[in-house]
Amino acid sequence: MPHAAIRADGLTKYYGEVIGIEDLSFEVVPGEVYGFLGANGAGKTTTIRLLLDLLRPSRGRATVLGVDCHRDSLAARRLIGYLPGDLPIYPDLNARDYLAYLARLDGRPVPPDYLRALLKRFDVSEIDQRRRLRVQSHGMKQKIGIIQALMARPAVAILDEPTAGLDPMMVQAFRETLADLKRGGQTTVFLSSHVLAEVESTCDRIGLVRGGRLVTTGTMADIKQNATRRVTVLFSAPVPPPAVAVPGATLHAVAPSQWVLDVRGPIGPLLGAVATLPVHDLVVDPFRLEDHIAQFYGGEAR
Amino acid sequence: MIPLLWRSVSQARYLLLGCFVLLCGFQIVIIGQATEIERTQSFGRMAELLPGFLQRGLGSRAMLLVTFKGTVAFGYFHPVVCLLMAGVAIYLATEPAHEIESGLVDLELARSVPRHRLLTRSLLLMLASLVVAASLMAAGTWLGAALFGSGAFGLPAPGVRARLLLNLIALAWCVGGFALLVATLSRRWMTAFTTVILLTVVAYLIDFLAIGWRPMRLVAWLSPFHYYPALSIVAGDAPTASDLAVLLSASVVFISLAYWQFHRRDL
Repeated sequence: MPHAAIRADGLTKYYGEVIGIEDLSFEVVPGEVYGFLGANGAGKTTTIRLLLDLLRPSRGRATVLGVDCHRDSLAARRLIGYLPGDLPIYPDLNARDYLAYLARLDGRPVPPDYLRALLKRFDVSEIDQRRRLRVQSHGMKQKIGIIQALMARPAVAILDEPTAGLDPMMVQAFRETLADLKRGGQTTVFLSSHVLAEVESTCDRIGLVRGGRLVTTGTMADIKQNATRRVTVLFSAPVPPPAVAVPGATLHAVAPSQWVLDVRGPIGPLLGAVATLPVHDLVVDPFRLEDHIAQFYGGEAR
Repeated sequence: MIPLLWRSVSQARYLLLGCFVLLCGFQIVIIGQATEIERTQSFGRMAELLPGFLQRGLGSRAMLLVTFKGTVAFGYFHPVVCLLMAGVAIYLATEPAHEIESGLVDLELARSVPRHRLLTRSLLLMLASLVVAASLMAAGTWLGAALFGSGAFGLPAPGVRARLLLNLIALAWCVGGFALLVATLSRRWMTAFTTVILLTVVAYLIDFLAIGWRPMRLVAWLSPFHYYPALSIVAGDAPTASDLAVLLSASVVFISLAYWQFHRRDL
């Protein structure tokens, strides 16, 4: 049985009295793009830093392609390409020397053609490569950050807020890069992001952390299928409120010629319930990941 | 290791260059001054100006300070020289704290780089810099003597100069080892750097005040400068081996603790 690309088993990190993450367990399948979501302070970065062995776990363990992230961290890190959320730079280096230095530090071979392709895709010109990083824009630094994470063709790419500061064209370039990685099937992407549209369009599966715990995980298809959607039924004549509960639906608002319902799962039972009524129109709000996630954040900030 | 070393050298090159020039230039200047004093036969008058507490505290060795040989040797234990050497060691040894603070450690250790390599890099660079600085000081003495034609006045013997420099390197290495330990306990470079710099100045003052203030002698053994008895080295009666052993043993303890702490800590 092949190893999971990333596996966390009861991974826990306490900062003194404060919970970083607690009993976090999840699995990322090789070749998939996994979106790791959560509000600020939810535990996303703590999880990533535990995978990289920058933090020592309080208990539990994590593996990358079967290699223990703590006990055999060197071997695990050899499999990873990492983009930090806030890319640190050497201000005296230009982009070319920065990438060359990181490649030398790594020891993993960087295929020159692939590096050239990445530089071209992210529109990093020769002039940009010769300019010192301290005078580069945030967006340009972010592009260099993405390139350094991917240039050695890692088996697992851990990308923390990869599209922060990128313009729409570069966001598109990033999506194309992810699509290429997915097609290649050699790289698993673990993507932490606040940009839900980004996650929705690029991820195969998501995991949501809140207060250091994983509150939901699943494929985007499953989540969409089981998500609560708002359905408005408009009638051509006044009708009374539904006499019996519609399976899977909760009544949100009722007017003489309109019902507003929150429907979870298939819409069939609702269609059955209104089949004999004078339905004029039926409006189903499109699935929005924001709405799905918001239900886990009712009440608390984290 | 090589890329890490070159990166650190590249970042610290101007500071190191400046310190090297200062340390070398200092020897040339002090030889120039000593030559002038010797030519005008003013050392005798200077002896009358020696503070009483120095004469009482240092005994007959105090008179070495007012000789050509002693003044040249003073270039190897002048407070500016000692603190500059210690400063170089502290700056280089606290680099891990800077890497943690700036987040560069994330970039470096996200790759297959062992944690301990960052400390080993700092130690190697520190040792190399101290050796280069000491070599340039020796070169400065030779250059100054050649420049001012003062070889005939009697420079300290090469063996004495070598012992002075060896002891100075050991002193700075010990301070650097302590700085490395503090760096592995800190998340802020400035905190680590200033803490060690201030403690080093205090340690210097303790050793200096202990010359003339008896109560201070009770704690002087805690100061690393206590184990660099430069005038005794010049006089030829210093327990150099035991002094070096103390400095190196202390540095081994500091460095071992630093490796242990850096291995277990969260970055």
